[in-house]
Amino acid sequence: MVRWLLIAFFFPVLVHGQDDSQSNFAPAVRDFFRSYCFECHDDSISIHDRSLSNAKVSGTAKNEEPADAPLGATPSGFSLQELIRLDDVSVSPKHWERVLDLIKSGAMPPDGSDVIPQDDRAEMIAWIDRQLTESLSIGGTPPRRLNRDEYQRTIQSLFNLQDFNLPPGFPADRPLHGFTNLGEGLVVSPQLFEAYSESARQVADELFPPPRKVPLATTEHAGPNEMVISYSSSKVVGDAMRLGMKCDPIQRSCTWPSRIEAKVAGVYGISVRLSAFRPRAEGPPMLAKVLARDVSSTDGVSHGSLRLLQEIVVTKESPEIFEFEAILHEGQTLVLHWANAELDSDQADKAALRKFFEAKGQENPRYLAAWHAMLNGEQGQGFRGGIGWERVKSHLSNEDLPLIDAEQQEALLKKIMGNPVLYAETVVFDVFENGPALEVHGLKVSGPKEIVEGPKELTRKRLRARFLGGSAASEEAIRRFLKRAFRRPVDEKTAQIWIGLFNEHLEDGHSEDEAMHLLIRHVLISPRFLYRCIQDGPLDDYDLATRLSYFLTQRPPDDRLIKKVERLSDPAVLRDQAERLLPSSAGSSFVVDFTEQWLGTRLLADIMPDGMFKFTKTDQKNAKLEVENFFAEILRENRPLRDFIDPDFTWTSPRIAKNIYELNQEFDKQKVNNLQRISLPRGGRFGGLLGQSAVMMATANGVDTQPVLRGVWVLDNLLGSPPPPPPNAVPPITPDTNGAKTPRELLTLHTEDMTCAMCHHRIDPLGIVLENFDPVGRWRDRWPNGGMPIDSRVVMPDGTELKDVVDLKKWMLLHLDQFGLCVAEKLMTYATGRQMNYRERSELEGIVRHHLSQDAGFRDLVLDLIASPVFAAK
Amino acid sequence: MRPNNSHRRQVLKAAGISIALPQLESLADSDESSNVGQADLGKASRLVCIGTYLGFYRDAFFPKQTGREYQFSTLLGEVADHRDHFTVFSGLDHRAPNGHAAWNNFLCGQSPNAYSLDQQIADRIGRETRFPSIQLSAGKASQTMSHTRRGVALPMIQRPSVLYGKLFATEADRKRTDYLLKSGKSALDSVLEDADQLQRSVSGADRVKLNEYFDSLREVERRMTRQLASDLPVPSTDYQLPDYDPVAPTLQLEAETLMYDLMALALETDSTRVMTLFIGGLGQVFTIDGRTLQAGYHALSHHGNNADAIADLVKVEREHMRCFNGFLNHLKLKTDSTGKPLLDSTIVLLGTGMGDASRHANSNLPILVAGGGFGHGQHLAVERKEAGAPLLGDLYLTLMHQLGVEVDQFSNAKQNLNHLFS
Repeated sequence: MVRWLLIAFFFPVLVHGQDDSQSNFAPAVRDFFRSYCFECHDDSISIHDRSLSNAKVSGTAKNEEPADAPLGATPSGFSLQELIRLDDVSVSPKHWERVLDLIKSGAMPPDGSDVIPQDDRAEMIAWIDRQLTESLSIGGTPPRRLNRDEYQRTIQSLFNLQDFNLPPGFPADRPLHGFTNLGEGLVVSPQLFEAYSESARQVADELFPPPRKVPLATTEHAGPNEMVISYSSSKVVGDAMRLGMKCDPIQRSCTWPSRIEAKVAGVYGISVRLSAFRPRAEGPPMLAKVLARDVSSTDGVSHGSLRLLQEIVVTKESPEIFEFEAILHEGQTLVLHWANAELDSDQADKAALRKFFEAKGQENPRYLAAWHAMLNGEQGQGFRGGIGWERVKSHLSNEDLPLIDAEQQEALLKKIMGNPVLYAETVVFDVFENGPALEVHGLKVSGPKEIVEGPKELTRKRLRARFLGGSAASEEAIRRFLKRAFRRPVDEKTAQIWIGLFNEHLEDGHSEDEAMHLLIRHVLISPRFLYRCIQDGPLDDYDLATRLSYFLTQRPPDDRLIKKVERLSDPAVLRDQAERLLPSSAGSSFVVDFTEQWLGTRLLADIMPDGMFKFTKTDQKNAKLEVENFFAEILRENRPLRDFIDPDFTWTSPRIAKNIYELNQEFDKQKVNNLQRISLPRGGRFGGLLGQSAVMMATANGVDTQPVLRGVWVLDNLLGSPPPPPPNAVPPITPDTNGAKTPRELLTLHTEDMTCAMCHHRIDPLGIVLENFDPVGRWRDRWPNGGMPIDSRVVMPDGTELKDVVDLKKWMLLHLDQFGLCVAEKLMTYATGRQMNYRERSELEGIVRHHLSQDAGFRDLVLDLIASPVFAAK
Repeated sequence: MRPNNSHRRQVLKAAGISIALPQLESLADSDESSNVGQADLGKASRLVCIGTYLGFYRDAFFPKQTGREYQFSTLLGEVADHRDHFTVFSGLDHRAPNGHAAWNNFLCGQSPNAYSLDQQIADRIGRETRFPSIQLSAGKASQTMSHTRRGVALPMIQRPSVLYGKLFATEADRKRTDYLLKSGKSALDSVLEDADQLQRSVSGADRVKLNEYFDSLREVERRMTRQLASDLPVPSTDYQLPDYDPVAPTLQLEAETLMYDLMALALETDSTRVMTLFIGGLGQVFTIDGRTLQAGYHALSHHGNNADAIADLVKVEREHMRCFNGFLNHLKLKTDSTGKPLLDSTIVLLGTGMGDASRHANSNLPILVAGGGFGHGQHLAVERKEAGAPLLGDLYLTLMHQLGVEVDQFSNAKQNLNHLFS
């Protein structure tokens, strides 16, 4: 922009005395502007650059700081007179586009000025069109670095590190024109560069870590008081810890030493002292299992999922020592479990608990009566763990304990079966006291006797082998890595720089691992890795593959694409690959990322709908999923573009269908929050982008609707003609919910001021006609709080009268070419990382027009766009 | 600027007066021009937020009387030595929904996962220290506590050894850092050489765009040179950790003590000025004073008003308060660079997102604020039923003001408590 301003400053001096005969512009052109425009347009009125749109609806996200403001939002421009004086459309095509827009739409000259004869107008439009087309070329994306998501996925793909995640503090990308993947907006700062260096080090550490430190062998003891008790998993009685249950989560059935943790994967000598407390005379003997667990994993883990180290049969009532050797991995400890305990609290084994109570009842009729008394006593609700058992015992010892009849017994058992976890937690204390129980007297872990490769080391070994294509680092491996990391063949000069880096480190006395570590750390901060499609000229096959792959998968090209890369200039091959990579599921990164950026649904996470809307977090999640599933189906099923506006289906939860979309069909009550495909009548209020909850939410703020925001949103995202930003950052008008004034009345102020009216005659009708949707997308006929009835009738700039959103949809269907061009432009902006210029838009217009004449589907459109020269130009 | 401020405070203290210092206009202006300036203006310069997952049994926490003449409750009795250095609040909350999941809003206000108090402060005052903020947990971090401006929940360090390693680099760590810096700095030449070659091959406008890359690389190189030239400001300590990490659930109280010790050291060495500590609570059965409790901590919290369960629950909570008391002792004994007790300039917020764990109710949260240059010594009770009653967010606004961060809204709160608490 600085450059243009300088020209604007100096140029007028040069061209001032110039007469029409020396001008590039024909005298008729100059006369046209002189006679129809210059009366008002002196040098004090500037014309906005078309790209300086109010691109995404903002102001809804809270805690917005200036750092978040879209880049390049500062209005600046030329006056019309300057543009003419510059005498060359190619100096500032974006301003000329704006001039063209204004004349074409009839916004200029405004009402009340001289009317331009039809022929003059048409001629001028054709002249500007010609000038623009001639002065612009297709392509021109600036160097485009990977954005945060692409960077993370690229590292995952490049090193097979599927779990690699960037830390929360990793700098976020600032959106430009609503997109976080445009070359112009993706800047590099020292802070980001440091974050890249740090991530590169982490990746290098994953594959080529510094040598492991081998700890000295030690022997650790744990007595019964140095073992974990959780819920009612165990109890220490005398010199032993007793286990009484076998249920699934280890925190309810097992014990483990609290201070023993393997510092390194290795073979350890293990010794446990166990005994059987009052074992049953008949039946199988007690079976203890020693398992291994990661101490950092959740205590709710199932014992069945843990690695078995040893099974031990315990028969003796006096302590017996069992010794064995086993492998513990780094960070692991051992867990003790009584595998065939009688008591179980798992839902799946409720019968065991019932059997246990029944047996107790048969043994002693007062037993169930005592439980009954405890649960119906004064403090019946608070009986967790041993507290309840102490009270059962006090009832048992009460000689006056009233017995209960069969009916009461059954009611009691039913109650217990209703919450087996809760009751087992108390009754197990009976087992701790009276047996049978498994007793743990202590354990000992010594080692490591030998270091082994744990899962961490084995994974690393596999990753390394894959990375190096063998076991040792070689020049060939480095070349292969460079080609993959830089996503294209590397010339010899470049290769030698990197191979030299590796070799020099070796020569300095470092190991191969250290040299690879160094290499990875620095390849990952090279511009060849961080930027994509940077080579000058038209995209070659490699850059085309990269563009295609990041467009559809947000990842670098996969092996199948790489295999075909040298034939990618063949349109059939490109189409095949595009077909293959085009996602079909709603959860794919393309669908999620593109819809979030196109429609602004990413904002949903920041919006808290007011409590009065009864819209839950789950509803909010589902509303966003609706957009993604809807988009995915249109893409997958190759549905026509009109389905974006007036479809016969949607994907939503029964809860939203009922509460928001007024659909009264029968839904499965168990699945009120499960997204499902629902048929809709065409031509209704709901359905399509103009009636979806997520869209209505993203264009409001959770409390009020903001008609101007909605209007701008429709212009920008569905019609592709975003208005320029308001002068002097005027705040959007919000409705006065007290009902004293309707937004409609407030908005008429816009039409009274000429400067406002210029844009607002396009914005406001679209906003007002959508006012029937409240901030979560529910239909309303009146303003909240008993306000005025909503009058949604509007007149569009072309004179069409609309009653409500149904009419708006009809109008949209009549202007499907505009919508189609808008979607095409958004897709190509996202794919190429640049805003489309006038020439490129004309190109897209041709594709869309052809598409609509063919009655083809959306999937075809995406494929046609990929085949276009716009996609293939740098 | 700070010496002046402290001086003024000292004079006022000496005179037995505790009043809010008026914000000087000339100083207030500089607030807007620089974030760093904001931090220097606060009467407090550090913030520690502690949250217990299962809350505190309210009858054992809140004193029965309000004002200065209150009598210690069971739990407050554990921090009796610090009576003049803390204020206890009742009746505050975020007017948010109930449930375990809603705990996360403790530092966030009405909506969970919003920009949390500690992060709002860290973003303003964190840049001066090695770590802008540090998040810790004693016991499993079953909830989230700190959330960035973008709503990302920050992970917590559960192992004292990891925190120790972060704060005090070992000899081996230092060697490794040194190696990475040295090898990295010389390798940057190769990156530059190749990047130069690349830059020459692209068109004029692209070359200009790539300057961002080169500028950043050179800046990072300069930083590395600086780091290599000066000794890293990594402090050392003779504090000894046990040779195991107390991550077993039954060792949570031990973990709490260690975390408090290390937190005090982190503040003393000015490694960070913003810390949070999450105090967990799952099924673990504690043994306290030689007696094993009758049920797991979480089970006890669902006491159903049973006296035995409450007695055991309060036993656990007393232990939390004992650990907390140890932390306050540290902050009184340890001093900042000007020789004054850390507690004078450190705001310590102890609270929870859980008002009553037995019912999962998130109203009337137990809250205590210690230190930070406030006038303390009372029980401030808020009538939450009254119209316009202050919210917990209003207290947070006051804490932010004390830290020199002048904002007028925190989540759903817009008033502040400056008139009651200063």
